[in-house]
Amino acid sequence: MVKIREYRAEDKMISLISNDYKLLQVLSRFGIPLGFSDKTIREVCEDEGVDCNTFLTVVNFLNGDIQTDISINSLSLESLLHYLKQSHIYFLDFYLPSIRRKLLDGITLKDSDVSFLIIKLFDEYVDSVREHMEEEERHLFKQVEGLIENQTTTNTDFPVYSRHHEEVGSKLRELKNIIIKYCPPDSSANLLNAALYDIYRCEEELDGHCKVEDDLLLPAMFKQMEKQS
Amino acid sequence: MASLKAYKIVIAETAPVILAGLVTCLKNLKDFHPSVIEVDSPESLFETVTADMIDLIIVNPIFGGLLHPAEIRKTSLNPDIKIFAIEISKLNRATLSLYDNHFHVTDDLNEISSKIMSAIHLENEDLEEKENLSSREKEIISYVVKGFTNHEIADKLFLSVHTVMTHRRNIARKLQIHSATGLTIYAIVNKIVDLSEIKL
Repeated sequence: MVKIREYRAEDKMISLISNDYKLLQVLSRFGIPLGFSDKTIREVCEDEGVDCNTFLTVVNFLNGDIQTDISINSLSLESLLHYLKQSHIYFLDFYLPSIRRKLLDGITLKDSDVSFLIIKLFDEYVDSVREHMEEEERHLFKQVEGLIENQTTTNTDFPVYSRHHEEVGSKLRELKNIIIKYCPPDSSANLLNAALYDIYRCEEELDGHCKVEDDLLLPAMFKQMEKQS
Repeated sequence: MASLKAYKIVIAETAPVILAGLVTCLKNLKDFHPSVIEVDSPESLFETVTADMIDLIIVNPIFGGLLHPAEIRKTSLNPDIKIFAIEISKLNRATLSLYDNHFHVTDDLNEISSKIMSAIHLENEDLEEKENLSSREKEIISYVVKGFTNHEIADKLFLSVHTVMTHRRNIARKLQIHSATGLTIYAIVNKIVDLSEIKL
């Protein structure tokens, strides 16, 4: 629960997962496949062409309840951007559609009750997440790409993203509560629970994802802008 | 009902053992799942309370030089912010009186919990009281979910558009439902409207 230490490049990759299985997600988003036997974090990163410092920064940032100082100095914007883009793909193309399927399994769709409205509410939620992520890709990520290519950029209003993040988070809370409080009584408890577990987990993962954007990407961008100006 | 709102608690403390202990205490409170933000300097404390709606700050008064709760209140985005002191070494009464409440590091969990809950509890009661919708509000919900605009509702009920909007804001706050679809689900389940009356 409380983080006792930070991961270092010499630690074995497997120790990361043994301590927190949720870090599996971080591996796949960096494009690190499983099957790395007993290699260290540095070795695996080198094999897969992943920037080891960025990987460690993200892992240490997401790991544990208590935040220690995270250094953004050694971050590679390129690597971090790749990671965030993969996260978007994961949420939009994999995780949210899979939750929708589970919801459909758990709730018997009928014209005579609110079942179809619950699915509609979920779809509206997914639309708002998609809209937010696409907006980020169009503006924020474009700007990062410009910075990577050494173009000077004009500053835009950054804080708006963290506000968006709160809105997206509170919509998910609302959705969850509506499903729990108002789902039709003939829903299948086990299947619906499976969908709800995923929604809770999705909430945590989205929180982590937004935190990476707000507290790693933005500071790293500012640092790069300072360097270039 | 309190669980619907995400309470935000800031802990301003540099000692990791005390910080971890406080986080654990907060996690064990019943019906209460605050999001906990940890800050390690007065600068980041001020930054956090000005940027975010924080409900409660638990602060070590000697953290980074002596703090002035009045200044925090002045800059805070939330005018009703509560500020608690955590007493690690003996502090004088004058210092402690500047805070809404305080607990000592040797207090037992129940004491700490009840102090935190009593600060939050007042608002809980407010919330629960507000939970009940008035008949006017129910009437407005029934029009909203049938697809009427604020303007049309105002005309039908002989109200100003402004009043209709105020009602809608209150409804959203009481139910913690902000989307039209969510409101429709609520209205059908609670028999404010019948499914057949809804245009989709």
